[in-house]
Amino acid sequence: MKKVIISDATLRDGSHALFHKLTKEHIVAYALAADAAGIPIVEVGHGNGLGASSLQVGLSLLDDREMLETARKHLSRSRLGIHVIPGFATINNDLRFAFDYGVDVVRVASHCTEADITERHISYTREQGKEAYGVLMMSHMANKEVLLDEALKMQAYGAEAVIIMDSAGAYLPHDVQDRVGHLAANLKVPVGFHAHNNLGMGIANSVAAVEAGARIIDGASRGFGAGAGNAQLEVMVAVFARLGIETGIDLYRALDAADIVEREIMETTPYISSVSLVSGLSGVFSGFARHVNLAAKEYDVDARDIFFELGARKVVGGQEDKIVEVAMELQQKIKRG
Amino acid sequence: MDNHLREMITADCQEVVGPSPEALDKLRNRQVFVTGGTGFVGTWIAELVIFLNDHHNFGTSLILLARDIDAFRIKTPHLAERKEIRLLSSDVRNIIDLPADVNYIIHAAATPDNRQHMSTPLAVMETITRGTATLLDAAATLQSLSAILNISSGQIYGRQCCATPTITEDAVGSLPCNTITSVYPEAKRYAETLCSAYWSCCKLPIVTARPFAFIGPYQSLDKPWAINNFIRDALTDNDIRIISNGMPVRSYMYPSDMAYWLLRMLVDGASGQAYNLGSPYGITLRDVAEKVKAYANTTAEVVIKQMHPDNSVFVPDNGLVSSTLGLEIKVPIDETLKRSLRWFRGAFRR
Repeated sequence: MKKVIISDATLRDGSHALFHKLTKEHIVAYALAADAAGIPIVEVGHGNGLGASSLQVGLSLLDDREMLETARKHLSRSRLGIHVIPGFATINNDLRFAFDYGVDVVRVASHCTEADITERHISYTREQGKEAYGVLMMSHMANKEVLLDEALKMQAYGAEAVIIMDSAGAYLPHDVQDRVGHLAANLKVPVGFHAHNNLGMGIANSVAAVEAGARIIDGASRGFGAGAGNAQLEVMVAVFARLGIETGIDLYRALDAADIVEREIMETTPYISSVSLVSGLSGVFSGFARHVNLAAKEYDVDARDIFFELGARKVVGGQEDKIVEVAMELQQKIKRG
Repeated sequence: MDNHLREMITADCQEVVGPSPEALDKLRNRQVFVTGGTGFVGTWIAELVIFLNDHHNFGTSLILLARDIDAFRIKTPHLAERKEIRLLSSDVRNIIDLPADVNYIIHAAATPDNRQHMSTPLAVMETITRGTATLLDAAATLQSLSAILNISSGQIYGRQCCATPTITEDAVGSLPCNTITSVYPEAKRYAETLCSAYWSCCKLPIVTARPFAFIGPYQSLDKPWAINNFIRDALTDNDIRIISNGMPVRSYMYPSDMAYWLLRMLVDGASGQAYNLGSPYGITLRDVAEKVKAYANTTAEVVIKQMHPDNSVFVPDNGLVSSTLGLEIKVPIDETLKRSLRWFRGAFRR
């Protein structure tokens, strides 16, 4: 029987959907439920990862230490994971203390063509005896050859898995099979996949990833994540069970965890809004959706036009300031007729 | 450095040289120039040479060339302060002349750290290719040069066409030249061919060593290699993780054996010949991890993650070095691991 490791992004990717306003009560309730379900890895933190709380990408209600300390206290079976983007997170100010708070798995992420920046963070994590994964974000912006080249760097730096993220929810299943298959055939470490649901393909793409050789799959309960949300974790557990893919997760408990997210944490259940769909089509990071909607309202322009223009400019996560710039330019264009 | 660690190195040198050091007599009162002179290889060459000087009156002098000699002064002041060791701060690519009285050259510049190969591939390739050419141009003008030892890499063997228990010097396999992972072995291959061209054109006396894997004093535990990680994790009581099935077969040579073999290849190696440098005794990563755990007496567990099957073998054949140079391994794997743990424990304390 095929086995996969499910990595749960609910308390990290879901932070985007709450404008990074996760509370201690949210973390306690969900961590207990995820732990009871036997979810192998539970990620916690700001949507953009450790050290990312800022005016530019959104201020966290809780600081990183509070989030990690709270989660750690309520996870016994599940391992505690964090998302780390070098630049937001520094080794001395952020990563060092994260280990003091009991982090087990560090997912060191970069834009899909910039794996070079992950070397020190991956090395430092390995030096502390902890597990380090490399994560290539916005992976639809690179072809499979470029992704392999970047993934090989992460492998050389000491990454014990390389995960490609469909940050914009832009993939169709054959895109996933093409890329994951190429990585799985050429890397010595396991390959993982992180889906977003902008085109309604979250589960289908995750299945395609496993069929192509992925061994680590990300999901979020009720799909609670940026934009149209992630691959819905409890659905994934059920579908994988039907396909004979072992996750080691208790389905009933996973359903309970999802109910807690819907009842106690999320403001609205993720759905494929027009804007999210356009985000997927234009290949723009799902997490931009709320910022784009606000800018569209403020400058009285069509959010869909903003997305397509951002896509044309190949804007990536961390360039949120471009949203307002594009909105203002579109407004000027309209005024000029 | 603690006295007991220095005594350990001296005992290691004593063991490989033995009671009669005549095999290295050609080095008596000679000058050896070492590029990459403050790295792992250079440091061990220096340890063995000062042992020969102190215990057998060899009168050998060393010039160690490196980019960062200050770090060497801090790390090994007992070597840096020796009167027979001269430190030269320079990049091998920038060499114009070599001291006229150099008799032997060991070319050890270029890091085997694959993280650097990935992050700075152009600099790595240039250091190996242009650095080698620059050094050989300078060497060609020396009047009293006896031999050059070019330190290549076991990685030049590339993919072997069929499974063999050990790799012989003539078993050069294939290297895919269009991938970032070939940067280091392809540059090393080019450097070997360059040495052959200088040997042919200028009649430079060049011998090549192809190193495999080593573990022991003066290595760094932050290197991204399996055995280094096993030792680091064992000493910090973290689980020893193996991503594969634990079945890859590797071999590990203790550095005093390495340094002695290198000096023997330098003085007695046949010009134009390449020699394997490594232990011929293969061991699976699973067994290495179990031994490290046992000798470290750690509470950590060995975790075999079984994420992908790997039955690869990367072990040198030692038939040639044994039959032509009479070289054999003096420090077996168990002793290699015990001494390494002793060293790294001491290093951790510091």
